[in-house]
Amino acid sequence: MDFRWDLIVEYAPFFAKGTLLTIGLSIAGIVIGTFLGLLIGLGKLMRNKLLALPFNWYINFFRGTPLMVQILLIHFAVVPPFLGTTNAIVAAIVALSLNSAAYIAEIFRAGIQSIDRGQMEAARSLGMTHVQAMKFVILPQAFKRMIPPLGNEFIVLIKDSSLAALIAAPELMYWGRAMQGQYYRAWEPYLTAAVIYLVLTLSLNFLLTRLERRMATE
Amino acid sequence: MIKVENLKKSFGLNEVLKDINVTVKPQEVVVVIGPSGSGKSTFLRCINMLESITGGHVYIEGIDLTDKKTDINKVRTEVGMVFQQFNLFPHKKVIENVMLAPMKVRKISAEEARAKGLALLRKVGLEEKAEAYPDSLSGGQKQRVAIARALAMEPNIMLFDEPTSALDPEMVGEVLEVMKQLAKEGMTMVVVTHEMGFAKEVGDRVLFMDGGLIVEENIPSELFDHPKEARTKAFLSKVL
Amino acid sequence: MKKLKVVSSVLMVAFLLILSACGTSKTGGDEKKTVRVVTDAAYAPFEYQDKGEVVGFDIDFIKAVAKEAGYNIKVEHVGWDPIFVEIKGKTADIAISSITITDKRKQTYDFSVPYFFSKNEILVPKGSAIKSAADLKGKVVAVQNGTTGQEAAEAILGENSKDLKKFENNNLAILELKKNGADAVVADNTVVEEYVRNNPNENFTVIEDDGAFEKEYYGLLFPKGSKLKADFDKAVKKVIDNGTYAKLFKQWLKKDPDIQILKDQQ
Repeated sequence: MDFRWDLIVEYAPFFAKGTLLTIGLSIAGIVIGTFLGLLIGLGKLMRNKLLALPFNWYINFFRGTPLMVQILLIHFAVVPPFLGTTNAIVAAIVALSLNSAAYIAEIFRAGIQSIDRGQMEAARSLGMTHVQAMKFVILPQAFKRMIPPLGNEFIVLIKDSSLAALIAAPELMYWGRAMQGQYYRAWEPYLTAAVIYLVLTLSLNFLLTRLERRMATE
Repeated sequence: MIKVENLKKSFGLNEVLKDINVTVKPQEVVVVIGPSGSGKSTFLRCINMLESITGGHVYIEGIDLTDKKTDINKVRTEVGMVFQQFNLFPHKKVIENVMLAPMKVRKISAEEARAKGLALLRKVGLEEKAEAYPDSLSGGQKQRVAIARALAMEPNIMLFDEPTSALDPEMVGEVLEVMKQLAKEGMTMVVVTHEMGFAKEVGDRVLFMDGGLIVEENIPSELFDHPKEARTKAFLSKVL
Repeated sequence: MKKLKVVSSVLMVAFLLILSACGTSKTGGDEKKTVRVVTDAAYAPFEYQDKGEVVGFDIDFIKAVAKEAGYNIKVEHVGWDPIFVEIKGKTADIAISSITITDKRKQTYDFSVPYFFSKNEILVPKGSAIKSAADLKGKVVAVQNGTTGQEAAEAILGENSKDLKKFENNNLAILELKKNGADAVVADNTVVEEYVRNNPNENFTVIEDDGAFEKEYYGLLFPKGSKLKADFDKAVKKVIDNGTYAKLFKQWLKKDPDIQILKDQQ
């Protein structure tokens, strides 16, 4: 089959721009999602079932509904009342953060619960408050165990950011679709996009493996 | 120093402690023995509220732990605890294990905490392991670090929850040695243990627990040599 | 570079195998040949799914044409992008999906004679400053990705302009306009007129600009060099001439067709 390298060259600047936005969306999603996820995970762990309920339902909603629907909802229904107009980049960041926060919350919860009860007891018996024990004893250990599942989630997030193309956020997949729409050729844009996503996820993987190794030797 | 009144503890429908009354005087070493499931560990854990109390009262130096206004964290700084499974913090070096609580709870400086920590490690014979991680230590060494960690808060009372039960036999001695030293220095101690030799040698008083009750209590020589209750006799005949 | 070619060929072969497993055209014992027709059934009233069944003007039209040409057909909804992959890979024989005949597409595919006339129009809120296609310059325009509406907008705004928002479908593009994310939508007249007709309360209006937007014609899409083209061209003309076309047009689009403008193109 013929493969039109010239079309890829023509679109290279757009792929470059798109890649930058994809990286931006992913980093924003990871940072905000991790922060929110920690809060929500801790919220779900609260002993008071009534207080934990909203956190539980947050996780149920964002894990249990398609990200595509969440992105459309946030873009067309949530963001406009605040900004007076749509903003695809804001909507994409909000949707990716809220969605990944639900998964990350579960990773945090599982990580925290995997730490032996004796660790909390030892910390409390020394007079530390619950918050101190969490901060200095439980979370540092739990975090180490969370790295592999978090890495997994981050990789999923990078790929999920391609759904932002739906609302015309000019990220990597958007330009892939645009190229496809212009030339009616599927393989050149989509394989190019796939290779770039692969490079992004492999780079992240590399960083995470190094982090994991460093924490293991500590 | 410790006063336990009508202490009751249930896990669901399971009543583990039925009615415990004990007083521990300053500098006294009280040893708690009894078959497994007798409630002796639960009793010990109620003394620093690691278990919530179902009924009755526990007073530490006159402060009622069951009073909602009591700051339990403050009380715990006065009550050190040593666990069967050591529960050292694996992500921290030995010296950091010892320094952590004094720095975060007592808010002393890192230099001061380190100096104090090293002194305590010297006391338990592990100064050279200060920069090691707990994973590289033997069981006996871990438990000695755990004792140093508890002592770093300068508690007035030390609770020991079967401190030698998870150790290989050849390591039991080094831990008991540290505990004996502590007793000699006048520390108030409550020790749950199966080491009858230790109970005899160091204990001022021995409590025999069974079925959630204190069945018999006496000075060691009397309790071991002239037990009065049938259940005490049956237990001692099995372990001695 | 050679390596990547191998990889892409392998992917292509895998893709074709999957497609062929889904069913390809076969010559049965019947004298009539069955041809596989693919469509993107997401464009009412031309082609859409009614409770899972693919229906619409295009569908009834291709049925009439196939009957005239003496072929059995099997219509399948495959989605927009796959249409072009399948026709190019010859895993499908014909595509009908309101596909506009363009020179760019002609480079890769064959088209039948035109069977439908269409043009792009601009959808704007009532009272908008946009009065003609030229006014779109500097405004944010929402379009459906890969449509001639996009090409028409790009002709004014510039290719891949930052003011152009490309959506998956016209519904999303119009939603963007409704939520102030865009100043105008450029799409087929059928789409925008139908929208305004169905949503009179939303205060949108249609701007026609025949000077700026080229006339467009829909055609059946064939693989390059398809032997079916001759038979179907003849049948398309016949169906238009014998009145069946006008009947279907009225039935689905609620108005009379401009037959002459089609005849001029044939």
